Amino acid sequence: MAIPYDSTIPVPPAPVRLVRPRTGRWIGGVSAGIAAHIGVDVVIVRVVMVGLGLMGVGIFGYLFLWALTNEGEPGVAAPVPDARTARRSEALAYVLLGVLALVLGATALEHGGSLISTSFLFPIIIIGVGGVLAYGQLDDTQRGAWLGTGAREWRGVVRLVLGLLLVVGGMIALTSWGRSLTQLGGSLLSTLAVLFGVALIAAPYMMRVWSDLREEQAARARADERADIAAHLHDSVLQTLALIQRRSHDQAMVAQLARAQERELRSFLYGAQKNNHDSLSSAVADVCHEVEDVRGVPIELVATGDRSLDADGLALVAALREALVNAVKHGEPPIRVYLEAGPSGVEAFVRDHGPGFDLEEVPEDRLGLRHSILQRMERHGGSARIRRLEAGTEVELRLPPRQAATVPATPVPQPQEPQQPQQPQEPQQPRATQGES
Amino acid sequence: MTSPGTPAAAPIRVVLVDDHRMFRTGVKAELEDTGAPLDFVGEAPDVDSAVKVIRETTPDVVLLDVHLPGGMGNGGVDVLHGCAGVETAAGQPVRFLALSVSDAAEDVIAVIRAGARGYVTKTISGTDLATGIRRVAAGDAVFSPRLAGFVLDAFGAAAGEIAEVDEELDRLSAREREVMRLIARGYQYKEVAKELFISVKTVETHVSSVLRKLQLSNRHELTAWAMGRRLI
Repeated sequence: MAIPYDSTIPVPPAPVRLVRPRTGRWIGGVSAGIAAHIGVDVVIVRVVMVGLGLMGVGIFGYLFLWALTNEGEPGVAAPVPDARTARRSEALAYVLLGVLALVLGATALEHGGSLISTSFLFPIIIIGVGGVLAYGQLDDTQRGAWLGTGAREWRGVVRLVLGLLLVVGGMIALTSWGRSLTQLGGSLLSTLAVLFGVALIAAPYMMRVWSDLREEQAARARADERADIAAHLHDSVLQTLALIQRRSHDQAMVAQLARAQERELRSFLYGAQKNNHDSLSSAVADVCHEVEDVRGVPIELVATGDRSLDADGLALVAALREALVNAVKHGEPPIRVYLEAGPSGVEAFVRDHGPGFDLEEVPEDRLGLRHSILQRMERHGGSARIRRLEAGTEVELRLPPRQAATVPATPVPQPQEPQQPQQPQEPQQPRATQGES
Repeated sequence: MTSPGTPAAAPIRVVLVDDHRMFRTGVKAELEDTGAPLDFVGEAPDVDSAVKVIRETTPDVVLLDVHLPGGMGNGGVDVLHGCAGVETAAGQPVRFLALSVSDAAEDVIAVIRAGARGYVTKTISGTDLATGIRRVAAGDAVFSPRLAGFVLDAFGAAAGEIAEVDEELDRLSAREREVMRLIARGYQYKEVAKELFISVKTVETHVSSVLRKLQLSNRHELTAWAMGRRLI
């Protein structure tokens, strides 16, 4: 019998898997994991574990569980301590272990190993704990840290050093079992010799594992990248192509789609430089793209220099937008925008290649636009000029340099401006004198 | 020897290098439609065959895609290096016009510095491209508005750096800057000439001189272009 899905029926909580949590651990996180798994307070588990450990069984049980359980975060049901207390308890554990190591060292020196040598078990416990601690490093700082791609945390280093100290101390205790202090030097030496031998044997293997890991990581990065690109192409290019096929009769639409897609793909391939959204050039680029999308006419933007976007810059962008809409409506492509921001201020040019226009055919709204361009620029201490060229029209917008922005609006000094200077911000004049240039 | 400026003397021999056959066909058709006196003597889809074809046919102009498979993996730059010193039957060096969809500054600067005489985007109209080919064949330089923008940026011209003497390699002269600015604004060479009250020939001279600076300058921005671009 089918029961319709009802979201109000509570889903029974999934049993908490036995995992070793990354936070709130003392040694390997086994106790914390068990606590989360069976739902008991972690302190009880630890006490039991230590008790078992002192009897000897616990050590092997602990190591067994440590080796066979994965690291991970237990389910939400587990009492996860908040990060600060977890860190504090971790620090406490380190201090305890440090004290343990010190006491061990001191007793070893003082009694020549006679005290601790009463049992094999004690040194083995020490070695085991040290080993877990040192290897716990592998869990803790992820593989990336070992592969040198991430920063290793100080905690990892402390762990490693402590673990090594414990292992070496334990081994010394073990080898100097039943002997006097005078023989300690010899046993230290032999311990080191053994460690060195092990390291020598293990080194090539470790190197191989290491390089395999590196390769695997690189391969995975490549695969991820491929998947990203594939996903992107699917989302953008394939969709656009599908759209184009559907609307193949509508030429303007096809051109617009292709253009928008080209731009999008370009920014995907070569981009990431447009992420700064409060710069003048990115604002201008946004405006160009917007007009292009709405009107379906390609607009080529070339920008050099940049500066942060302020009120004056916003006015320039708004005026530029009007000029662009104007150019798209009445001019002909190619429409080009050139923006230059430098120490002599900001200059922007919008150029179209239309046949030009006669004053009498200029509708009212164009005059209005002209005013909005011109007056807007003047209000912000800049200037605007509309020129008729042989082929097309060019709107020129200027802003003075920033420090001079408060000075009353004067035309920006243009030492290298050989253009006809006889039209000081008078848009009607160049219109009327058409054919002149 | 064909004297520059008399394009009708003999058809310009052109080799097309692009890894997309469709694009090669399209460009060829478009250029043929313009009626320009061009003779397509060969085409190649990758670096190695391009070098071979160019060495065999020694064309006047190579239309070179920036991104190509093969070679050392540097695309058009490898072709330029592979064909260094190749001359036409008339004793002129084979000239290259880079044609690219890429806007990436480092690509553009790389092919120009490897010896290309110009750079235009693939969206260029057939007529403009034909004009560009003629200019390059005559030994002049062809700059797209975007390349002009790059140049202004790279030489710090937008930031107001102007050379005191024209020969200075690391900065543009005031006139060169004006020419570049007008090209960046979308002006044709003859419009630039009119605007600055100089001859088209002078404009061509200025552009060629900028090209030379672009190729020879040790300016830091040109070598570490990509990095600087991202820092902005």
